[in-house]
Amino acid sequence: MRTEAIDPPGIAWQRVSPKYVTVQLVEWALANVLAVLVLSAPLVLVLLGWWRWPPLWLAVTVPAVTLLVALWRLVLIPRQVRAIGYAERDDDLLVRSGIFFQRTMAVPYGRMQYVDIAVGPVERGLGLCTVKLHTASPGTNARIPGLPAAEGARLREQLAARGEARLAGL
Amino acid sequence: MTTDGQLPGAPALPPAAVPESYETSDGDWLRVHPASPFVRGWVALAAILFFFGRDLFERTLQGQPVFEDGFARRAPWLLGGGAAVLAVAVLGFVLTWYFTKYQVSGGYVRVNTGLLFRQHRQARLDRVQAIDIVQPLLARIFGLAELKFEVADAGESAVRLAYLRIDDARRLRATILARASGAEADSGAGPAAGIDGAALAGPAGLSAASFGPYASEAPEIQVLRVPPSRLIGSLLLSEQSFFIVVGGIVSVLLSALTDNRAFYFYLVPAALGLAAGYWNFFNKGYNFTAAVSPDGIRLRYGLLDTQAQTLPPGRIQAVKIAQPPLWRPFGWYRMQVNVAGYGTSGNAAEGNTRTILLPVGKFADVMAMLSLVLPDPGTERPAELFAAGLGGTGSDGGFTTTPRRAWLLAPLAWRRNGFAATDTALLIRSGRWWRDLVLVPHQRTQSLAIHQGPVARLFRVADLVLHTTAGPVAPRLTQAGLDEARQLFDEQSARARLARRRQTTEQWLRQVVPAAEPAAVPGTPVPGAPHPGTPHHGAPAREARTHHEQEGQQHG
Repeated sequence: MRTEAIDPPGIAWQRVSPKYVTVQLVEWALANVLAVLVLSAPLVLVLLGWWRWPPLWLAVTVPAVTLLVALWRLVLIPRQVRAIGYAERDDDLLVRSGIFFQRTMAVPYGRMQYVDIAVGPVERGLGLCTVKLHTASPGTNARIPGLPAAEGARLREQLAARGEARLAGL
Repeated sequence: MTTDGQLPGAPALPPAAVPESYETSDGDWLRVHPASPFVRGWVALAAILFFFGRDLFERTLQGQPVFEDGFARRAPWLLGGGAAVLAVAVLGFVLTWYFTKYQVSGGYVRVNTGLLFRQHRQARLDRVQAIDIVQPLLARIFGLAELKFEVADAGESAVRLAYLRIDDARRLRATILARASGAEADSGAGPAAGIDGAALAGPAGLSAASFGPYASEAPEIQVLRVPPSRLIGSLLLSEQSFFIVVGGIVSVLLSALTDNRAFYFYLVPAALGLAAGYWNFFNKGYNFTAAVSPDGIRLRYGLLDTQAQTLPPGRIQAVKIAQPPLWRPFGWYRMQVNVAGYGTSGNAAEGNTRTILLPVGKFADVMAMLSLVLPDPGTERPAELFAAGLGGTGSDGGFTTTPRRAWLLAPLAWRRNGFAATDTALLIRSGRWWRDLVLVPHQRTQSLAIHQGPVARLFRVADLVLHTTAGPVAPRLTQAGLDEARQLFDEQSARARLARRRQTTEQWLRQVVPAAEPAAVPGTPVPGAPHPGTPHHGAPAREARTHHEQEGQQHG
């Protein structure tokens, strides 16, 4: 099934750096390899004959399913990163993400209270950063990950300047 | 490395509101009422008294001599210890009182508290979102009141002044509102009430005298009052009563079937909790009155603890009108609001009561409240529209519902789930049994998003979420047709942008477009009175949309 985009047509999305895939891979590895290892422990113990309780089929199924899901998510990562995009329009910033669960958000410049730049250890190694926008609403959960540091700084300055020009109250 | 780019928040002061030097002569530093720590700390005092009194009491009960043999020996120690504890408590109270000071000047309210850990709080007056005067029972007995105002400013939310004399609290509220509204210039050149530095710089001391001369309270007109009988009825017919009855029946049946009396025991704590819950609702909702004044909406309620809320115009971020199924035969509705600061108050129960705009009311009451919240409904026939929003299905009243192809996703509610946009607000309707209508003024939309999951994609529908400040109302349009959602997303961005442009200042009386002047007359429950100052801006919205499409193409 071809996925129909939910965002308004005719927008040139800026994509995030392909290097962000690496960040996601590291995060994926940290989360999933550990999980699979832990869940495989009973299997090993059962095979060694030290444990009796989990029947073999259960001991195999649980880590196998976890592994499958993990692999599936691994396969999705590059597509998901490609799906992240942002577009600066005249009065608002559009941020989109997701393929399976799509989300497109419009954050007006005048509503932004402040803009954060966050850099994690892996991101720093790759020269990337994450820009987060905050409005008075906790629902505005707009973050643009995987921006090159220079682009992140530019975007923040740009957003600050535009926000100041169009500042509205609550 | 985490860098904070402080965006607009602080620097965008209008020139008039630039804070003067700290020792400005505009407002004196004032103290709260000396009795306030005792009213606030009565629990501590009561604990001390209890501690010492219990022993005595028990002895008397047991018929023992009040003073045992060795008492004479221990008496000095006991008395000394008690006196010391009491003295420390009282000294603490006095010091807290002494170091709590407040000042209203230069467009700011400042409150300093604390002895060891000093805390200076200042709040911009034009950012005041709501002012409450709260009177717990004890404070009410002493004629005192707590003044609490919510300010939407960098993080710090509520500023509290506890306790002031009730008259002082009212005067201070009037002063703050007058300055926040822009009715009085910060410099003191206000023509209406004639504040100037000299008048304010009265004798340093209690606030009674110094607040006297300026800012009389804005006149108000009562709009509606909830009769206690209806409140009780609404409680009896609430969802919780329903579940109680069901739970009661189930447990009685189980007891009868299993011959096990234990099931009755569950009823005891349930009944106790329930009584407390009902009492709380009743206590809070008793004598609910709503009034309107140029300063905004005034809500008053409470049986033992009373509270008076003032919501200035344009501070309400979103409204929800709900009707549980049991209320339908009576035509009752409940209204809740999002106000910046209310949702984030630490106490959840307190936040819940404060966000209630109308605990229970008939359709006419709902319309009267809507006329206050949204003085300009932005449509020709508001009564029809809101009636369709509250009770209608299908496309009556101009609503766009979930397309027929997606009926499987919401077999009952698909004809109800829908939206309608007026020139000033977006209406989101949902629910077949639990009927909901959510209103978000375009001016107040923070940001918006479209969401779509795999199942929704199969049916070519999507959800549109509007983000507002934290609170009980979470506006979400569910299962709108994809094309409609996309179009609404664009239109809504444009409308919100236009509305933001029209709102030039937070000081509501100084708004260039006098859209927020509540022109409601209690006799006319229909919020339809066209405003002389408010242009019908359907055309500009369309214009803005085409403009916006061009922008999209430019970027493309």
